[in-house]
Amino acid sequence: MLFVLCVNFFLFRIVDTDPLANMFRGRNVPREVIENLRTSFGLDKPIGTQFVYYLRETFSLNLGISYRSRQPVWDEIVSRVPATLALVGSSAVFAGVFGTLGGIVAGWRRNTWKDHSITSSSMILYSVPEFWLGMLLLLVFSVVLGWTPIGGMVTAGSDAQGLARLADYLQHLFLPGLTLGLAYLGEYVLVTRSSLLEVMNEDYLTVARAKGLRDARVRQHHALPNALLPVVTLAAINVGYVLSGAIAVEAVFSWPGLGEATANAVQGPDFPMLQGLFLVFSASVIFFNLVADVLYAYLDPRVETL
Amino acid sequence: MRRIGLLIAVGLLAVALAPVASAQDDDKVVLRVGNEQDWETLNPTWGYLVAEWEVWNQQYEGLTTLDENLDTAPALAESWEGSDDGLTWTYTLRDDLMWSDGEPLTSEDVVWTIQTATEQEWENYVYFTQYLTAEAIDEKTVQITSSIPSPQLPDMGFIILPKHIWEPLGDAEGVGAYEALDGVGSGPYVLAPDGFRDQQSVTMVANPNWWGWEGREPGVDEIVFRHFGNADAMVAALEAGEIDAAHSIPASAVEGLEDHPDLEVVIGYQGTIEEIAVNGGLAENQPHPALLDIEVRKAMAYAIDSEAMIADLWYGHAIERDTFNPSADAKWTPEIPEESRFTYDLDRANQILDDAGYLDTDGDGVREMPDGTNPIAIRHLVNTNDSLAGQVGELFSGWMDAIGIDVELVTMDSDQLGAAIAIGDYDTFYWGWTPGVDPDGMVSSFITDEIGGWNDANWADPRFDELYAQQIEELDEDDRVEMIHEMMTLFHDAAVYIAVNETPEIQAYRADAFEGWTRQPAETGPIMYNASGPSYALLAVAGEGGGSDSGSTNWALIAGIGAAVVVAGVAVGLRQRRTADERE
Repeated sequence: MLFVLCVNFFLFRIVDTDPLANMFRGRNVPREVIENLRTSFGLDKPIGTQFVYYLRETFSLNLGISYRSRQPVWDEIVSRVPATLALVGSSAVFAGVFGTLGGIVAGWRRNTWKDHSITSSSMILYSVPEFWLGMLLLLVFSVVLGWTPIGGMVTAGSDAQGLARLADYLQHLFLPGLTLGLAYLGEYVLVTRSSLLEVMNEDYLTVARAKGLRDARVRQHHALPNALLPVVTLAAINVGYVLSGAIAVEAVFSWPGLGEATANAVQGPDFPMLQGLFLVFSASVIFFNLVADVLYAYLDPRVETL
Repeated sequence: MRRIGLLIAVGLLAVALAPVASAQDDDKVVLRVGNEQDWETLNPTWGYLVAEWEVWNQQYEGLTTLDENLDTAPALAESWEGSDDGLTWTYTLRDDLMWSDGEPLTSEDVVWTIQTATEQEWENYVYFTQYLTAEAIDEKTVQITSSIPSPQLPDMGFIILPKHIWEPLGDAEGVGAYEALDGVGSGPYVLAPDGFRDQQSVTMVANPNWWGWEGREPGVDEIVFRHFGNADAMVAALEAGEIDAAHSIPASAVEGLEDHPDLEVVIGYQGTIEEIAVNGGLAENQPHPALLDIEVRKAMAYAIDSEAMIADLWYGHAIERDTFNPSADAKWTPEIPEESRFTYDLDRANQILDDAGYLDTDGDGVREMPDGTNPIAIRHLVNTNDSLAGQVGELFSGWMDAIGIDVELVTMDSDQLGAAIAIGDYDTFYWGWTPGVDPDGMVSSFITDEIGGWNDANWADPRFDELYAQQIEELDEDDRVEMIHEMMTLFHDAAVYIAVNETPEIQAYRADAFEGWTRQPAETGPIMYNASGPSYALLAVAGEGGGSDSGSTNWALIAGIGAAVVVAGVAVGLRQRRTADERE
């Protein structure tokens, strides 16, 4: 984590940029005022001093003030977490459920027509850029069909409350959720399929079949519990990464989450905001890796005994 | 397992099929405007994005404003009178002015804004207020004295803030950190309670206390500004009727929008330019030595095919210029005589270089310095934050290739670009400027003192500096126009901006929803996101229908997709049974 902290600081300062240059280009602002602002942002200090301040403040849980909004970075991040969580959460569930189901079908009936179509469409979804898929879905669902709203999290200016507001929210969530879900679907299918294939050659399945158990029972009770272990790891790790990986989709759908905040902060550059965001992203990846390990130990007794 | 999946699918489909919620209530007229920027702050003392100014232009007024022709017009002050020396101006406020929360708006608010802005160095104010002192003569009379003669007076375009809201915030830090969501203003529309809820939109409601409504009703009850993270999505929303107007439309979308029966496209100009600039050599680092020769710079300027550039980048919707516009008002831009314009002429460009002794002595297609060494290979900086810069780089290297100059493209983001320009670490770059209404801001960028600062040409001229110092105190407008024209001509002749195009603000609105859109500057300018935003208060519902219905549902396509799903389902079902049989 300490490593992450240091990398975060220096990563954004490798290139020689002036955060204030963009802010003031083409504006009538006296130079003294700009220099005063530089002082108040601490940008006039040598980089070493800035780093010490940064470490000290981060350890006292102060992520600093955003250059762009001049509000505390922590508040900015917290206000955007629910949007990203809803988007990532719904798409993770979607991808996890349908991806695993697809992978099971494809793996169990490998080399059939079904396997080929599922595997190849997963490969396509897996390789398609998210923003392109997003634009395509937007075109079909919003422009041609007119079913879903184009971007945003709620209808702008609407003062609907209660259930109406929830419905409105879900309608706005539908397309970005679907896009992100489809984008991650392929990975689940492929991982599930390959781990199922691995398990299928195991002796205990032959034994199960030899006992005369029906095909579905063999699959559900003997093959799957073991085959799904890597999928659990994948899901946990994905949730950690997906928090930061929604940048492209959030931009296409104007979804006010952390991804959009990152895209905004890069143009500036808003150092405190970027550092804060990357800290949250790294922390979430580390946390969910831990969750994956713990879950693994719980699900797989072989690991627990170690 | 399968049943749960089906249930989820059905649930999602049901949500998707439910009618899209509308912001249009039965009796409330709502204007919905889309733009690509979002809002970082609504604090008018330091915010700087165009999207933010559009909000403040509606929420607050200054003593004066700008009319459609960009001339000073009455706003909070109904009249003003100047002293003989032009230093002291007395403004008389309108009768019974009120803030939107019902508090009286008096000369106290004016004095407090001017004095505090200077004391606390508000970034958006000091340029205007630093030489001013204000004194309240009575409730509706303010005397403002400038310590220097200024041609910008009596214009008082900066907005007056409500003292009763802002004074309790205390010092500069308190004011700077204020989120300004109070919605208390003096203009036609003010921020609605909770109007900046999710950072994706700003909702403003008509201010019943605005002086301008006297004798008429607002044509629009509510304005909703919506941010789109993606311009194509915004255009789609406009076509679908989800928004009524849009700003910053890509030039590539114009043709498609013009064919739409209900849409009106506005190509507005307000002085914004794009330029290819050459390093004039006055910064810390030097360009390739050939570029210090004005003949080489001129040859480069003659080699640029602006017409092709405009066709490629702007689909024809930009205008070739000879020099940058110092102001949104075209009167400040001089006519450059035909014989000194750098009109595209490859033969002439090559001739100039031949005559000046820059020849390709080793036959590799690249010219060398007159002494036969140091081939003219230059570094052109490409701004990765600008969607057109890459294309410009390609075009530019083609043009330079045609006159024997080799171009290396170097990409960087706009912050790095700014830093590289300030220290002169480049040969050429592509960027742009948007001028204000008074020319001082723009021309001040090119004086000697701004080398290393805003002077991105790294060029200076003693005569330019001298004229600059004169124009800033020249009270006679005609004389000042002449001075600025001379400065701009000097700048043009130096050939440091070798290509300049005036670029458009492309906007569009639904003609079936609202009418009364007003251009500023008149006839040529944009209808929104302009100097003072006069359109909104003048809008009325088009015809008698009002609003706009969404949903150009393509039933044939839906039927097609439906049929395909059914067929696929049946096929899968049959197949499943067959494979199951095979396995048993």
